[in-house]
Amino acid sequence: MMARKYLVFVLALVIWAGVFYFIDKSIMQAQGLPVGADMMPI
Amino acid sequence: MKYFIAALLALLAVSLPDLVAAASDALPPDAAPQPSRLDYPVIAGISARSLAWSMAQMHLFLAAFVLAVPLFSIATEFMGVVTGDDRFDTMAREFMKITMAAYSLTALVGGGLLLTLLVFYPHLMGYLVKVFRGQMLIYALLFGLESITLYLYFYSWDALRRGNRKYYHMSIGLVLNTVGLTLMFVANAWVSFMMSPAGIAPDGAITGTVWEATRNPLWNPLNLHRFLANIAYGGAIVGGYAAYMFLAEKDPVQKAHYDWMGYTSNFIAILGFLPLPFAGYWLMAEIYAYSQQMGITAMGGILAWLFIIQAVLIGTIMLAANYYLWSGLMRTDRGAQYGRYVKYIAVVIVGGFLVWVTPHTLILTTSEIQNLGGTHHKILGPLGIMPAKNTAVNLMLVFTFLSFQMFYRSSREPVVPWAKSANMVVVALYVVGIANIIGAGIYGYITPTVYKVGASVPQVVTTLTIIIGSVIIDVFMLRGAKSEKVHWGRMTERSQYALFVLPVAFTWLMGLMGYIRSSLRTNWHVYTVMKDNSPENYIPTLGDAGNTITGITLAFMAVMVFVFWLSRLGQTRQKNAEISA
Repeated sequence: MMARKYLVFVLALVIWAGVFYFIDKSIMQAQGLPVGADMMPI
Repeated sequence: MKYFIAALLALLAVSLPDLVAAASDALPPDAAPQPSRLDYPVIAGISARSLAWSMAQMHLFLAAFVLAVPLFSIATEFMGVVTGDDRFDTMAREFMKITMAAYSLTALVGGGLLLTLLVFYPHLMGYLVKVFRGQMLIYALLFGLESITLYLYFYSWDALRRGNRKYYHMSIGLVLNTVGLTLMFVANAWVSFMMSPAGIAPDGAITGTVWEATRNPLWNPLNLHRFLANIAYGGAIVGGYAAYMFLAEKDPVQKAHYDWMGYTSNFIAILGFLPLPFAGYWLMAEIYAYSQQMGITAMGGILAWLFIIQAVLIGTIMLAANYYLWSGLMRTDRGAQYGRYVKYIAVVIVGGFLVWVTPHTLILTTSEIQNLGGTHHKILGPLGIMPAKNTAVNLMLVFTFLSFQMFYRSSREPVVPWAKSANMVVVALYVVGIANIIGAGIYGYITPTVYKVGASVPQVVTTLTIIIGSVIIDVFMLRGAKSEKVHWGRMTERSQYALFVLPVAFTWLMGLMGYIRSSLRTNWHVYTVMKDNSPENYIPTLGDAGNTITGITLAFMAVMVFVFWLSRLGQTRQKNAEISA
């Protein structure tokens, strides 16, 4: 039970990281600021 | 002879601007008037600017309050209908009671402001009337309608309290709020027109419609900013009232009622306050977009120092609101288990506050500059620029929301089997979100300026994602939750003083920011169109401005204490024993 809790936590970390990466990249590009895979200006 | 020539030159230098202005009497008939210094009335040595400034600010404080309270009063009334809990209805009525006491004062000060402007700035008022034409009559009409609906809404409360009649009552409230908001939008049009005129030629001749002048570049950013600020301000003021009543009441039932009212008011104030920095950011971005010069005057010139005071006041508001929420944890028996997190939240709030107040350029003596090796501190200097401040503000908002979430959860025990997993998802959301806010802040230091500014938007969106995501998960997780008894009234008296801090800091802050916004026009009545040639057409020193703003704030707080006292007097009954004696 305890292990499941932490498994969910790690999974959630990964998913939220993906969500925020998508949000960050979309917003920067929507402002006309192209970024690469490392989020650095192209 | 040389003294005579010097005197003649001095006389010429003094009178030249007036001579030039007099020469410009031959302006096209439609152009904006260009009054000379002599055209401004001087009456009994009264400082026209200080009087207009005080009247306008006082009117704005009162108007913001009386426009905002009906907004959340109707929302509270609606909550009463949805939940069937009569306490909401009673509280909504009490909100309105305070408004009623302040309403006539609002009109009185508004009338005073109008007279002041007509007497001391007749040319400007004449020009504004010419630009906005019939809209000013519509404003007067709306004001009449506002008065009628306000009185109707308040005095029909008990007559239209139950059944279908309640919906009639809420409809009156809806009309009241629609009229109130329209009033504010119209007044905002005049103010924003003075900053970013539209619908006119460069010489001020009217070329467009009233709508074009109304829908000037800064109108909507100002509308949004004032709308949110009014909600936060109204919440803070009624919170102060609830604290006043809590401290004054001896009856535990009444104390419990005012504790609940204080909590709700604080919630409303925070609700309005959380998105406010973002609305302010939009307003400032639009100011820059309209005129870079105006933007630089605000953020890079003399007025920039006032933003440090702004940071102090907002930090005070954050600390007071959080302290009140932490104190509220003692209302429930489960609250203590969240107490251990408070110190960590306090570290973030205080840390964010310190980053926010750190100036980029320091005011130093020559020897201090020599010791430091420049005007920028090596370690603290980098904290003075926007990426650090944006990061600090967003973290402060996130942790303020966390304080509220803790209090909300302290009275509810989830019963769904997946509660622990859901909680982990929320924790992960906070962890990644906070890392993203900090990461975007660091990103601002290693990328060009345009990316630095651009990175502030993902920070804002991250803050909102954390708040909205947590609320959605909590709603599902706490569905059918076991309710813990909330002991309303089980609060320290000290916590009530935090509720007093909020309206004082808000009032001061509004006075300060209002002064900045108005000063952005520098020596123009209508920016770049109609020059202010009055004797007081300069930006006062920070000290003078601070004293005036503080004086107005103190005067307004005295008015508010009077209003609170009046409201309490209204519900005080003489005891029988006193009558027979």
